Amino acid sequence: MNFIKRAWLNVWAKKGRSVLLILVSSAILMFVLAGLLIRSAAVKATNQAKADVGATVTLSANRQAAFKKMQSSSSSSKSSRPKLSLTPVKLSDASKIAKLSNVKSTNVTSSTAVNASSYDVVSTSSSLGGNSGGPGGMKSSTSSGDTQIDGVTATSLATDFSSKQSKITKGRGITAADKNTNHVVIEKELASQNDLTVGDTVTVKESSGDKAKVKMTIVGIYKASSTSSSSAGPMSTDPSNTMYTSYTLANTFKGSKYAGTADSVTFNVRNPAKVGSLKTAGKKLINTSKYSLSTDDSSYQTVKASMNSVEGFANKIVWLVAIAGTIILALIVILMIRERRFEIGVLLSLGEARWKIIAQFFTEMLMVIVVAVAIAGAGGKFVGDQLGSQLVAQSTTTQTTSTSASGQPGGGGQPGGNGTRGGGPGNTGSTSKQATKKTDLDISVSAVNLAELGGFGLAITFLSIMIASGGILRLEPKKVLIS
Amino acid sequence: MLKTTDLGYWYQDKQQPLFEGINLEFEAGQSYAIIGHSGTGKTTFLSLIAGLDRPKAGEISLDGKSLSKIGLTTYRRHDVSIVFQAYNLFTYMSPLNNLMTAMAITAAEHAGDRDYAQKILEDLGIGADLINRNVQRLSGGQQQRVAIARTMACDANLVVADEPTGNLDEDNTKEVIAQFQRIAHDQHKCVIIVTHEPNVADQCDHQYRLENKQFTAVS
Ligand SMILES: Nc1ncnc2c1ncn2[C@@H]1O[C@H](COP(=O)(O)OP(=O)(O)OP(=O)(O)O)[C@@H](O)[C@H]1O
Ligand SMILES: [Mg+2]
Repeated sequence: MNFIKRAWLNVWAKKGRSVLLILVSSAILMFVLAGLLIRSAAVKATNQAKADVGATVTLSANRQAAFKKMQSSSSSSKSSRPKLSLTPVKLSDASKIAKLSNVKSTNVTSSTAVNASSYDVVSTSSSLGGNSGGPGGMKSSTSSGDTQIDGVTATSLATDFSSKQSKITKGRGITAADKNTNHVVIEKELASQNDLTVGDTVTVKESSGDKAKVKMTIVGIYKASSTSSSSAGPMSTDPSNTMYTSYTLANTFKGSKYAGTADSVTFNVRNPAKVGSLKTAGKKLINTSKYSLSTDDSSYQTVKASMNSVEGFANKIVWLVAIAGTIILALIVILMIRERRFEIGVLLSLGEARWKIIAQFFTEMLMVIVVAVAIAGAGGKFVGDQLGSQLVAQSTTTQTTSTSASGQPGGGGQPGGNGTRGGGPGNTGSTSKQATKKTDLDISVSAVNLAELGGFGLAITFLSIMIASGGILRLEPKKVLIS
Repeated sequence: MLKTTDLGYWYQDKQQPLFEGINLEFEAGQSYAIIGHSGTGKTTFLSLIAGLDRPKAGEISLDGKSLSKIGLTTYRRHDVSIVFQAYNLFTYMSPLNNLMTAMAITAAEHAGDRDYAQKILEDLGIGADLINRNVQRLSGGQQQRVAIARTMACDANLVVADEPTGNLDEDNTKEVIAQFQRIAHDQHKCVIIVTHEPNVADQCDHQYRLENKQFTAVS
């Protein structure tokens, strides 16, 4: 083990050179660590984002089948006006699907329109008072009115709220506990125009059936984002005229035959990667000629793509830097060996084995690398922070551009209108915004990172010594010592 | 103890060897000087008996065993000790560590014995004040004495030196040659010195001149 002692004597005697080597190695390893940090942060963020963003499966009427039926009936009997009849979703079907293992939560949506009674609707110049249900899909109910009622299980599960486009500003949202109550959440603008606040009541008049007046208690006020109003298009009513109630109340407005039904039921999936198998399992539980199950994991896919690109980039950095570092270090070691030819010659003339000479160089570099790993570990966080934020900014910009350019036809394909106003581009916009939020990279140096860094340091040292050792193996002591 | 049989060597051209058909014998307890004009192949010859290169013709044997059979690395480690004109020492070590390192590599009998190494150095005039100083901060004569101390500390019975006094002044030369004589006579080793200084050659027990591809004894 004399070579270890020699290595130490050499590193210690040539302090200046050792310090320089440590600095060069630290710089190389710092870049490796930065790559490792970004990569591990990207993996962490991807997992987090996958859990946060999630994906949905929506149970709704089978529009395609209904459309076909309408066409065939219109061709057979020309006298009657063709009518698109959509079968409301049965909640008993929904509860069967809700019991499947991958379902995290269920949101029942039932929308209708009623007419204002005790208040005035908010009107915008483009609004003609007719409710078109937004471009995303038509309402299944034929009724029309000046106030849109979005019946839900809970507002927190509604797309507008989960995507943060709408926010509860006062009171609370609709929850599952509001089932079978007359509680309502109204928009801020409507509230201020009519001087309404939490605890007040509003009265609406049903637009179908017996046109009964119904009194509702305001439990919360929400603010709709301008994004949703601008993307809703000129044909829809002002978004401020949308009220959220429990789906049971919305069904009451529609009429008694709608009890126990819904326009659609959205299931939030626990593991977005397995959304397809949930759909398959769900299909077995329903009558597919009347109902359809559609999936929406576009948010998940966007986040995944965004994070994958960061991860791929980080991977490339790690390998590029490792390779470049190995080459740089190998060149340094080669130069070092040339300059130490006489020493090697003396060792050889004493009968030292060549592998022990290589082992001495390796040990010397190892001593340098150990210190360099410590320095890089301390300094790498700084580099990682800088690089991480830069990367995320860059990749999310790219991602947003690419998704909005390609567009998502049909707004995730949610037929029947489940309260997702502004499907299509509006939906995409909100998804990207969400993705940006989720991709904040959490960069911190963990023990695993340091272990990985040590591994890379070891590998780089080993490889560079191996590359340079060709010189030692070929060295002839006679040529070195006798010139 | 060391014997060359029909030894021959050439660099490029077989038709023009530096020397050929060399049959010499070197005995333990004796010192030998090899003299000759520049470029005749003295260093080349020394590199062969030092185990730094292989002969092109013939063979060298130590106590009846050929060097190729012993293996050059083993031969260098156990049987021969080399002193050069320069570049003898590990520049990043003290005299003491140079001796300790050489003793460790050659697995000498006294490997690891600091006191032994220190005593040898002191005998050669490298006192306690110099023993732990970096060898680069020693004079040429002191460095060469450390190199000689190293051959004395190792067990090799054959000591070869190429112009060991080439960089030294008269006083140091005398001192160094006296030490080589002590190695030969007191330690009973075989010492072979290449030199072009007549007064160095005259000190040795035997002289050989390399001339016209042959070694001839000088008396
Ligand atoms: N590696 C080599 N390749 C080719 N020729 C060489 C090589 N080394 C030495 N020579 C030639 O071989 C001859 C003998 O060289 P060598 O060094 O043995 O001479 P020398 O007797 O030691 O001379 P000097 O007294 O000047 O040291 C010289 O002519 C030299 O040019
Ligand atoms: Mg010579």
